[in-house]
Amino acid sequence: MNEKEVVIEKLRSGVIACHKKAVIEAAHEVIKKGLDPVEAIERGISEGMRVIGDRFEKMEVYLPEMMIAANIVEAGLNVLLPEIQKEKLPMKGKVVIGTIKGDIHGIGKDVVAAMLRAYGFDVYDLGVDVPVSKFCEEANKVEADIIAISALMSSTIGGQKDAIDFLEEMGVRRRFIVMVGGGAASPEWARMIGADGYAKTAAEASKFALELIKERRER
Amino acid sequence: MVSFMDVMEKAVTGKPCLARDFELKIFVPKLREVVKEYNIKYDSTTIIPSDNSLADDIFEAAFDFFLEVGAYCMDTERIIRFDENEIKKGLKEAPSKALLGEGKDARTLTPRKPEDKTPPWCFLGAGGVPVSSEKIFSSLVEGYASIPEANSITTPALTSAGGLRIRPRSPIEMLGAIRNAVLAREALRRAGRSGLPIMNTLATAESAVALTMALHPRYGLRTTDGYLVAVMDPFKVDFDRLNKAYAVLSLGAPLGICISPLLGGYSGGAEGTAVANAAYHLLATLVSQATWHLPFPLHIKYVCNTTPELLWLISVSGQAISRNTHLLSLNLNYTAAGPCTEMCLHEIAASVITSVVSGLSIEALGVTGGRYEDNMTPVEPRFSAEVAHAAAGVGREDADSIVKQLVNKYVDKIANPPVGKRYQECFDISRMVPSREYIGIYDKAKKELEDLGIAFKRK
Repeated sequence: MNEKEVVIEKLRSGVIACHKKAVIEAAHEVIKKGLDPVEAIERGISEGMRVIGDRFEKMEVYLPEMMIAANIVEAGLNVLLPEIQKEKLPMKGKVVIGTIKGDIHGIGKDVVAAMLRAYGFDVYDLGVDVPVSKFCEEANKVEADIIAISALMSSTIGGQKDAIDFLEEMGVRRRFIVMVGGGAASPEWARMIGADGYAKTAAEASKFALELIKERRER
Repeated sequence: MVSFMDVMEKAVTGKPCLARDFELKIFVPKLREVVKEYNIKYDSTTIIPSDNSLADDIFEAAFDFFLEVGAYCMDTERIIRFDENEIKKGLKEAPSKALLGEGKDARTLTPRKPEDKTPPWCFLGAGGVPVSSEKIFSSLVEGYASIPEANSITTPALTSAGGLRIRPRSPIEMLGAIRNAVLAREALRRAGRSGLPIMNTLATAESAVALTMALHPRYGLRTTDGYLVAVMDPFKVDFDRLNKAYAVLSLGAPLGICISPLLGGYSGGAEGTAVANAAYHLLATLVSQATWHLPFPLHIKYVCNTTPELLWLISVSGQAISRNTHLLSLNLNYTAAGPCTEMCLHEIAASVITSVVSGLSIEALGVTGGRYEDNMTPVEPRFSAEVAHAAAGVGREDADSIVKQLVNKYVDKIANPPVGKRYQECFDISRMVPSREYIGIYDKAKKELEDLGIAFKRK
C-alpha cells in the first residue's frame, strides 16, 4: 500500500472505529504530505461514514455510533475543507433539517441527519421546535439544496404545511427541495401539502435526497 | 416519597449538562456498562424466557442505571438524580392499585405477575392514532366501548377542529381537545357504557395548555379517567409535559406515563432497550409520580413492536417489573400491518400473549405504526382483548412456543407490511359490523390460535 492509500485507510477505518483523534491526525497528514483533500474525503472519511450507515441499516450498529461517527466526520472535514476551493467541494449538497415548531421529538430527525452526513451531505441541524421562518432563513443563508422537516405527532404535522406555505408566500419555494418525514407523515400527506419528497426510513430519505438533487441539477 | 416540588428543586439545582452530552456521554455508556456488568444477553431462540434470574438481573441493572443516570430536564438543561433510599421509598409507596371508571363500569387496575391467571386490564381503542373526521372518531369509540372485555378506552386523535388543521399551542388545538373529550363521552353513552374511563385523555392535546383547558368538568372528563402524559426518549422530561402531569395529579386523578425507548436508538440493541424499558418505570414513578405505566418500545426503522427482538425485550422487562415491584404496567402494541390482514392479527396475538404471560396488562393498539389516518377498526382491539383473556394463566414455555409459531408467519414481511384497509373500507359503519372479508380473516386467525392451544373464553 502506498503512502496515499495508507492515509486514506487511516481516515476510513478511523471513522468506522469512531476514533476521533486518529481521524484528525490523518487529516493533518493529508495536508502535510500534499495529498488531494477531495480524494481523502471521498475515499476516506465519506466511505467510512457510508460503512457506518450501512451497518446501521442492518442494525449491526445503533444510533449512538451514527451520531459519534457523524461528529468525527465533522472534525475531519473541519481540517480538510479549508484546503479545498469552493467549486471543488466534494459534498453532495446542503441540507437544512429540523423538527417543526410545537414538536420536541428529535430522534427521528437525528437519525436522518446522521444518515445524510453518511451519504456525503453537508447538514445544518436546527434542532427541535423550529419556527417555520427559521427553516427559510437558514436555507437562504447557507444556500441549501434541501429543507427537511420532521414532525412526529398528528397534532404537530400541520406545521410542515405551514413551512411550505411560508416558503411559497416568501417567493423562495422553488429554490429548495422540501422533504418531510416523521411518525405522522405519509406519502399522501407529502403530496397533499406540496412537498417534493417523503421517505419512511433514514436510508430511504438519503437515497431519495440524492435522486432529487440529481434530477434538479439535470434540469 | 419525594414530592413533585422536590423533583422541581432537583430540576433547577441538578448538575448542568448539554443534551448531547447527556445522551452520548452519560446515558449510552452507563447503559452499556450495566448490560455488561449483569451479563444480559439476547437469545434469538427464545421470545418469552422462563428464566426468573434474567428478569431479576434486568431489574437490578435498571435500578443501578437509573440511580446513576437520573433524568434530563430539557428546560433547565440539568440532570434530575435520586439517591438509593429515594428510589426504594418511591417504589414502595407507588400506587399498587387504581380505581378507574364510574358506576357499573368502574374497575380496579391491579398489578399482575408472570403466568398470572388474573385477566389483564384491557385498555382498548386507537392508541391515539389520527382520524380524518369527527364522524369516524365517534363511530370508532362507540365500537370500542361495545367490546365486552373493555376496561377503559383509548380514543383516536382528531387532526382538525373548526374546519382547520390542528396547530399545537393554538386555540384550534384547544377546541380539538374539547371536541375529543365531548365526543368520546357521548360515544360511550351511546354504547351504554358511560362510566368507562377514557385513559388516554386527551389524544388531541399535545400541549399542556390544551389538556388543562379541556380538564374542566363541563367537557365531560372525570377524576376517574386515566390521563396519559409522555416522557421523551432517552430519559428526558420537559416543563410542558411536567405541567400536564402536575395538573392531573393536582386534581387527584390517576396519571399514566407513556414512554417509548427505541430499539436501535440511544438504548442500542435488545439488551439495552430491555434495561431502559424497565428503568423507565422508575423514572416515571419518581419524576412524574405516575399512577400507572405504559411503555411501548418501538423498532427505530419499522415503528412497530412485534419483531422477535422487541417481543423478547417486552417480555423480559415486563417480567423484571412485575416480579420485583407492584407497579401497574401495561404494554402498548404497535403493529406493522394494517386492518383486514392476517398479518395484523398474527402480530396482535404474538404481542398480547407475550405481554400477558410476562405479567403485564395491555393497551390495544396502534395499527400500522399509527401512521395512516382511519387505518383502524374495532376488530383489532376486540381480537386483542379476546386473546388477552385467553392467554391469562398460560405458562411462559407454552406461550414461547405459540408466539414463535405466530412470528414465523409474518417476520419476513415486517419491512414491507400490508397497509390493509381503512375503517370505512372494511367495516359497515351504519350497522357497526366488519365486512364479510374481515370476518373471514378474523375467524381464520382465531381458529389458528385455537389449533396452537389458545382456549378462547368467548366464541
